[in-house]
Amino acid sequence: MTRDSERPADRVTRRKFLLTSGAIGAAGLAGCSSGGSEETDTPKPSGDGSSSGGSDGSSDGSDGSNSSDGSDGSSSSPNEPSLLTGEGSSTVYPIANEGASYWNGNAPPSDGEYWGSNDEGSVPGWSEIETDKNLADYFATQHGFEATDERSNPPYRATIGLSHSGTGCEAVTGGLVDIGNSSGPITAELGWSEEEANEEVVDHVLGRDGQPVVVSKDIADAGIDQLTGEQIRQIYQDEITNWSELGGPDQEIFCIGRAVGSGTDTSFRLNMLGDAEAEMPGVDTRQGQNQGVAQLVRQNEGAIAYMALAFTGEQVQPIAIDFDGTVYETSKDAENTIFDSAYPLNRDLHMYTQITDDTPSGTDDREGAFMRMFLTQFGQTVFVEGNNYIPLPTADIEAEMEKLPDTA
Amino acid sequence: MATTKQRDPDGWQSRLASRFARFVEFVQDTDNDAVAVGALGALSLVGAFVGFLVTSPYTSVFLAGFLVAIAYGWLRHQELAARGVTLAMTVSTVVILALITFFIFFEAWPILADRSGTLFGIPVPGLKLFTTTSWTPAEGTPRYSMLPMIQGTVLVTIIATVVAGPLGVAAALFISEIAPGPVREVVKPGVEILAGIPSIVYGFLGFTVLSPWASDAFDLVGQGTYLFVGIVVGLMALPTVVSIAEDAINSVPESMKSGSLALGTTDWQTMTAVTIPTAFSGVSAAVLLGVGRAIGETMAATVMLRNTPTVAEPLYNVFYGFETLTSLIAANYGSSSGFQKDALFVAGCILFVTVLVLSIGSQLIERRMDRKVGGVE
Repeated sequence: MTRDSERPADRVTRRKFLLTSGAIGAAGLAGCSSGGSEETDTPKPSGDGSSSGGSDGSSDGSDGSNSSDGSDGSSSSPNEPSLLTGEGSSTVYPIANEGASYWNGNAPPSDGEYWGSNDEGSVPGWSEIETDKNLADYFATQHGFEATDERSNPPYRATIGLSHSGTGCEAVTGGLVDIGNSSGPITAELGWSEEEANEEVVDHVLGRDGQPVVVSKDIADAGIDQLTGEQIRQIYQDEITNWSELGGPDQEIFCIGRAVGSGTDTSFRLNMLGDAEAEMPGVDTRQGQNQGVAQLVRQNEGAIAYMALAFTGEQVQPIAIDFDGTVYETSKDAENTIFDSAYPLNRDLHMYTQITDDTPSGTDDREGAFMRMFLTQFGQTVFVEGNNYIPLPTADIEAEMEKLPDTA
Repeated sequence: MATTKQRDPDGWQSRLASRFARFVEFVQDTDNDAVAVGALGALSLVGAFVGFLVTSPYTSVFLAGFLVAIAYGWLRHQELAARGVTLAMTVSTVVILALITFFIFFEAWPILADRSGTLFGIPVPGLKLFTTTSWTPAEGTPRYSMLPMIQGTVLVTIIATVVAGPLGVAAALFISEIAPGPVREVVKPGVEILAGIPSIVYGFLGFTVLSPWASDAFDLVGQGTYLFVGIVVGLMALPTVVSIAEDAINSVPESMKSGSLALGTTDWQTMTAVTIPTAFSGVSAAVLLGVGRAIGETMAATVMLRNTPTVAEPLYNVFYGFETLTSLIAANYGSSSGFQKDALFVAGCILFVTVLVLSIGSQLIERRMDRKVGGVE
């Protein structure tokens, strides 16, 4: 009884609190904050790039509410940058999401594990950064945003949603999100021409994905650790149906494909079968997500599949492939490896941004600062290599940097 | 008199006139402010609907007008307002159903028009979707056949019905007629809790436990069988069947059973000769609702099946499970566009029509049984 009567009262208090804090935030926005609420009682040094009108009141107000309507924060007056949103392919998701998590954490340079260095170690590529700013502050201030100097409080937050490549492309061109993640080129996902794509979006490639061909543990244990491109084509086109035809055990091949029309599916048809519209009559089952493929390979004997490198492991083993005499090994130290850009099943991972009237270059400062993080040695090592993807070579990084807006 | 009849043979004019007269009388009898508010509310609602259809930014204004009208009416003329609001609710339910139906068929139309064929010289839209057996949307000459999915749905539904029907009716009979009080108190809520388990949990159990086991036990290549999907879906439909069948059996009047027992029959004879025939309409409605649940079940099928639309051979081969109508939509909605997306809507149309036929069928059975058992005839 008492509990019942307490609960609504509790709710009312919370609502009142929200209303009050919202009102204080609004007051702060108007530049007439009185100080003394919990949001304003921590004095903050304003960032080094503060604009002339940036009184304490207004900067506090901007900290207090991150739900304000978004001006894109042009470099002249960076106020109230809105939430940076991204969505799309499950293949790009690990990179983008881990980047967003680091970004939102806004770790200080004394952290050592996520940013900066201390006695216990430093993050990869720290020597070329060497800053006293927090993680997100460091990249955001290069594009004219004000630093917060607070852990867990980046100048603006970033959030990444998980869907499909096509959905991500549609979301970014529809203006629903800032960044559309796609594992295939937007021309293939939405059926666009090159010109149309160049007019509508900017294509940022922040990493590569190899699609290693994997086999289940029983097949790998039986000694099959290398196939030729032709043999894989025959398996997927139903010309080979038993592992004994390839020198393996007498076990029918359980051939796993990907969701029809997904980026992974299209690029496999194009690179392995020779035609984006090639037939695949040998496929026994199709799975939409990498996780599902990995689970199927673990659970079934005689399985062969292709999927993102990030999901391979003890039970799901990648195999070497012989393309026209060049053997791409699974070891990172070999001369030709499946991590190479030259490996035919490698593909670019795209983050698309939309070209609008406000941002004719296609990439505004919020997006630019976020993407700059991935194009450093730090970003490539932690987010791309850390997720078993393939980092970009130096020349590609320089070309990608050109697409970002100039630093302030 | 004769002239009126000549001019108005069906009497619709006079009926319209009297309807109108009654309406005028109602308006005159009602307070002016109530009429005004009612008219305002009705107009705002229609305005909001039109605004919604043309995605006008003023929709919210109309909606706010409607809410204000209701609020005022509720405070000043509660009885009239309640009549108006309930009427509006009923109408909107029907309108929403009509809009959804229209939308599904509208979205499916492009591919139906494109794949039309001629049957006995008459053009039939979408015929070619049923004359091939291959589903190859990403290849050079895309083909969109619905037959593999229809086969899958039929097989899964039959297996699920075979599982859920007998088990469900037997369980309902036991709970309602045989079980002692304490047992019933425990079993009935237990069965209802079974209905609360999300379908993805069943599907996940099937994917990680049942399917690999079946793959080993029956020496299949890979995993995914209609048999086990059907069994899982049958278990999911079971609570629906038990719950509704139990209600139907429970509602058989005690006097009928007592009368039968008084004639010297055993409990079992009473059950088979009196209780079940009397409750037959309710029991069959329960089974049909269970079938409806099985047809529409999505999650378990998507997770457990192979998602490669193929006709299983022979047609009754339940040991390989490829695709059902629902899992086709669930597995492909994200990466489909153009005709492929329209084809998914065609699958939706087929499901819609099937469930519609089932529910109308169950109502007809119920009406027939009411006449027969209820002695209304």
